[in-house]
Amino acid sequence: MDYVILSLVLLAIGIYGLLTKRHLLKVFVSVELIATAATLNFVMLVPSVGKGLGEAFLVLAFATDTCVSGVILALLVIIHKKYGTSDIGELVKIEQEK
Amino acid sequence: MIFELLSVGLVISACLAIFLDEAVYSVAALAGTFFLTSVLYALSGAVFVAVFQFAVGAGTLAILFLSGEMLSEKPAKVSQKTLLSIVAVGVILSLPAIFLSVPGQKTVFSEVTFGEALWDLRAFDVVLQGFVILTVALGIVIILHERRKGK
Repeated sequence: MDYVILSLVLLAIGIYGLLTKRHLLKVFVSVELIATAATLNFVMLVPSVGKGLGEAFLVLAFATDTCVSGVILALLVIIHKKYGTSDIGELVKIEQEK
Repeated sequence: MIFELLSVGLVISACLAIFLDEAVYSVAALAGTFFLTSVLYALSGAVFVAVFQFAVGAGTLAILFLSGEMLSEKPAKVSQKTLLSIVAVGVILSLPAIFLSVPGQKTVFSEVTFGEALWDLRAFDVVLQGFVILTVALGIVIILHERRKGK
């Protein structure tokens, strides 16, 4: 059982979703998965740097992740209110028509 | 054995979160991912991290559910065939994590406690991050307020 490979698998799934999905909420879910993969990798690092220091790094990483989530969600809501859609393809079309 | 089962569940729920078409189902699968991750952390001995993951995940998911409801149309039924194929993909993807391993150094460089690490070694980071969080919160409020004013 290896957490590094598990986090790599999660990272791959997240990147796949980021590149292929067109709904903004799915893109956000992909970003969350990538962040989860990163924190899982931090957990793997904990035995190398010491438990206390590793957990401190992780808590700081969580705070950053929450900030990113907040900003993305605010932008998502604004885009949906402004354009009435959350599909990236449709948003590009609307912008091109302008 | 429990770690292997958890990792299989983690990859399956991650696959469901990406491959399910409906945003609400996708968010529900993401909830499963967060929950399994926090259980994995707790069983690995990182209790603080597990609690943080659970709290952050619960907050994010509550907002995501609302956004998912707002941004998506009526959820369509997922066919059993699609569901089974996604689960199969998840099981196959989790196999390398169970059977392969990466050689690594397991040396402990420091034995500081969590409190010491956070408040003594990384105190500047904590203060700086407090400012960042405050700025982000203010930024979100301003963005939403500007939008409302623009209407």
